[in-house]
Amino acid sequence: MRALPALALAAALAACARLPAPTPPETAPPPVASQNSAVVALVTSAREHASAGSLSTAAAELERALRIEPRNAALWHELARLRLHQGQPGQAAQFAQRSNTLAGNDARLRAANWRLIGQARTQSGDHAGAELAFEKAAELEREL
Amino acid sequence: MRFHLFRRYLRPALVALGLLAALFAAYVVYLDVTIREQFEGKRWALPARVYASPLELYPGRKLTPAQLAQELSELNYRHGALAEPGSYVRESDSIGLHTRGFVFWDGPQPPLRLRVRFEDGRIDEIVNRDTGEAVALARLDPLLIGGIYPAHNEDRVLVKLDEVPPILIKALIAVEDRKFYEHHGLDPRGIARALWANLRAAGAVQGGSTLTQQLVKNFYLTSERTLRRKATEAIMALLLEAHYGKDEILEAYINEIYLGQDGNRAIHGFGLAAQYYFDRPLHQLTLPQAALLVGLVKGPSYYDPRRHPQRALARRNLVLAEMAEQGVIGTAEHLRAKAEPLGVTERAPVGTSAYPAFLGLVQRQLRRDYSDADLRSEGLRIFTTLDPRTQRAAEEALAARLEALEKRRRMPAGTLEGAIVVTEAATGEVLALVGGRRARYEGFNRALDAVRPIGSLVKPALYLTALAQPERYTLATRLDDSPLVWSEPGVKEWAPQNYDKKFHGHVPLHRALAHSYNVAAARLGLELGVPAVLETMRRLGVERSLPAYGSTLLGAVGLTPFEVAQMYQTLAANGFRTPLRAIREVLTPDGVPLKRYSLTVSQAIDPAAAFLVTTALQEVVQSGTGTALHAYLPPALRVAGKTGTTDDLRDSWFAGFTGDKLAVVWIGRDDNQPTGLTGASGALTVWGRMMARLDPEPLEPPVPETIELVPIDAETGLRADRGCAGAVELPFVRGSAPTETAPCASGPGQSIRNWFRRLFER
Repeated sequence: MRALPALALAAALAACARLPAPTPPETAPPPVASQNSAVVALVTSAREHASAGSLSTAAAELERALRIEPRNAALWHELARLRLHQGQPGQAAQFAQRSNTLAGNDARLRAANWRLIGQARTQSGDHAGAELAFEKAAELEREL
Repeated sequence: MRFHLFRRYLRPALVALGLLAALFAAYVVYLDVTIREQFEGKRWALPARVYASPLELYPGRKLTPAQLAQELSELNYRHGALAEPGSYVRESDSIGLHTRGFVFWDGPQPPLRLRVRFEDGRIDEIVNRDTGEAVALARLDPLLIGGIYPAHNEDRVLVKLDEVPPILIKALIAVEDRKFYEHHGLDPRGIARALWANLRAAGAVQGGSTLTQQLVKNFYLTSERTLRRKATEAIMALLLEAHYGKDEILEAYINEIYLGQDGNRAIHGFGLAAQYYFDRPLHQLTLPQAALLVGLVKGPSYYDPRRHPQRALARRNLVLAEMAEQGVIGTAEHLRAKAEPLGVTERAPVGTSAYPAFLGLVQRQLRRDYSDADLRSEGLRIFTTLDPRTQRAAEEALAARLEALEKRRRMPAGTLEGAIVVTEAATGEVLALVGGRRARYEGFNRALDAVRPIGSLVKPALYLTALAQPERYTLATRLDDSPLVWSEPGVKEWAPQNYDKKFHGHVPLHRALAHSYNVAAARLGLELGVPAVLETMRRLGVERSLPAYGSTLLGAVGLTPFEVAQMYQTLAANGFRTPLRAIREVLTPDGVPLKRYSLTVSQAIDPAAAFLVTTALQEVVQSGTGTALHAYLPPALRVAGKTGTTDDLRDSWFAGFTGDKLAVVWIGRDDNQPTGLTGASGALTVWGRMMARLDPEPLEPPVPETIELVPIDAETGLRADRGCAGAVELPFVRGSAPTETAPCASGPGQSIRNWFRRLFER
């Protein structure tokens, strides 16, 4: 579906900016980093679906976005967040790693990925591994 | 006396009569059970429908007006006005289209009237013609690529009553059974009328059977015309009418009636007939086309429009005339329709799917989650990853190149066979699958089932194993390409040879891979240990268990093209393994989401090692065994690839990837005889021709943070700088590059110092 008119999109983005996301699983989502209006529309819609509990629709939308921009590290991060939300910490960590391989020197995104890996490891009971990941994140955040 | 008579005659007669009645009742009950079983069985047998990936339209997408127009015509969009869904018009720099509504996994997309404007080979803007608003993203309805049908060659394209054009139903009733909505299964007046007409014409003109009777007859498909058969059919017709509504019976009729024969494949139902005769979905039939199909009911073989076009035309016009007479159509409509040509496609489309190889893959992947019976009867809607444009390019390239290769090598036409797998590099979605050069025909699916020695395609696994140990191996490591004899217990002595039958002394690792030196690779592999290389292959995604012989290192092992694609996929995805997927989603017939096959990734290979091997594979194309690719693709694409050639030139392989697509091509002979082709002279040319049509993205693998670029002197393999002519920049895992500087390096003093140091350190 989804022929998202730009107006509705702008409205949705504005709404997103004003309202706090309902119970985010971790830190607030970073802005959607894409020049492509279709990708922005899909991520926006996916976030809405995710907060409304339609996780598999959200996943379908993010994978759709990924087909448009497979090298967009922010999209892989977005999927990592969703996998954590879906209760798949193993996949969440993998997607975050994948995001890191594409993130280049975007320290902010890399830090976010490591933080997410830390959370994923905590969820799967790997506390030592989580600690390492959080340290990496902190290290990267200090560079910012 | 009377009593006597009663006892003697009447009673036995009554008893006999009673017995007969009881027998008859039992027979009717039997018929009732039989006919209901038949009816229910047919009614619920809804095959799974399989759809290709829908074309996504969004500003910025690479797409030309011509490409969009082709996609639309593949989807049977009509060129002309935008009055109805499924139509389009081409304007100067844009295409106007009226999409068909469709229920996708994430919800329905209603029909949209859009204007797509293009600039510089891309979509520039999409506007909703009704609201004037810009549209960020829209998709076309997906191409139906086939169904998963019950066995015994009974293909169906099942349709629901509301998908049948009303004009077809009206024509059917007007011609075959005027009183259909009034009778209870039989129409005595119809029979009388038919008898009378037949008597007058001295031969069978009208059938007189109701649609219900015809349906019953079709269930059993005997041409037997005895009175008993007729009686049985009549009873069954009455029974059917007693149990089911008119619409249910009509729907069954429309899906069941016999309308033609294609070899050993019977054409049942109007849905399949529309495809068979007109190559379009039933709901798109025009009035004269619908009239022709209705006319065929009477005698599909006698009126076969392909073999007897004159008869068919006359029959169609008779149907039209009957419709006009009964007021189903107006005079003007009648005249217009009568003037139309038959409009039957010259040749019948082959089978029910144009993509049998891909469909085979879909079926295999589905079988992990669904039973055959469910697939054939539950009417599931299956959304796949097939990209029709990629599939067309792959089929065309294989067919065209094989023909050209056979001509050039004076081989009889049809000697060579081939297979192709194309995937999306990042996500592992299978975009195209070709199982043989005659891609439209179902048959041996070489992409999935031909297990062939992979030759040098195995080498990236070997070099990955080495480069994952940066303290031991780098791209600059000198490998020994001098004669080697290897013996191990239980196996014949093994003396690997290079393709050019020469030995190359000491060669840098990257060049040994780029030029595919066998002896250097074999020696390296033995150093690493065969099990270590096999473990790398397993990590890359090869599940088949492979023998741990030395010759395995040079690809004596057999894999299918699909398995090879899985292996290279992990490299193309920067070391992350993603199972190759052909299916995205499964929905119920009503569009309720059932199952999603979501993207999964797992890091299988150290990204740094994957990056190093990818760099060497780019060199394969740039200056190694794959340079012939430049005849098809610009060097700026920086394609990574590997040629593979096996003993006596029996198998010709090429596996490679661009920034967005991965493809594996195999060429060989089904009888496993030599082809005279190397990987470069055979499979590579198919790969190149196909990719050239797909306008791929350049390959720029992301540089892992642990990688640094260091200039290396080609002569010595030592650190170089501006002073060295012919130095190349090679990537190294940080800290693994040679520390020693080459003699050519700047500041002669320094280089001489180094030279002396080396001299003394020796």
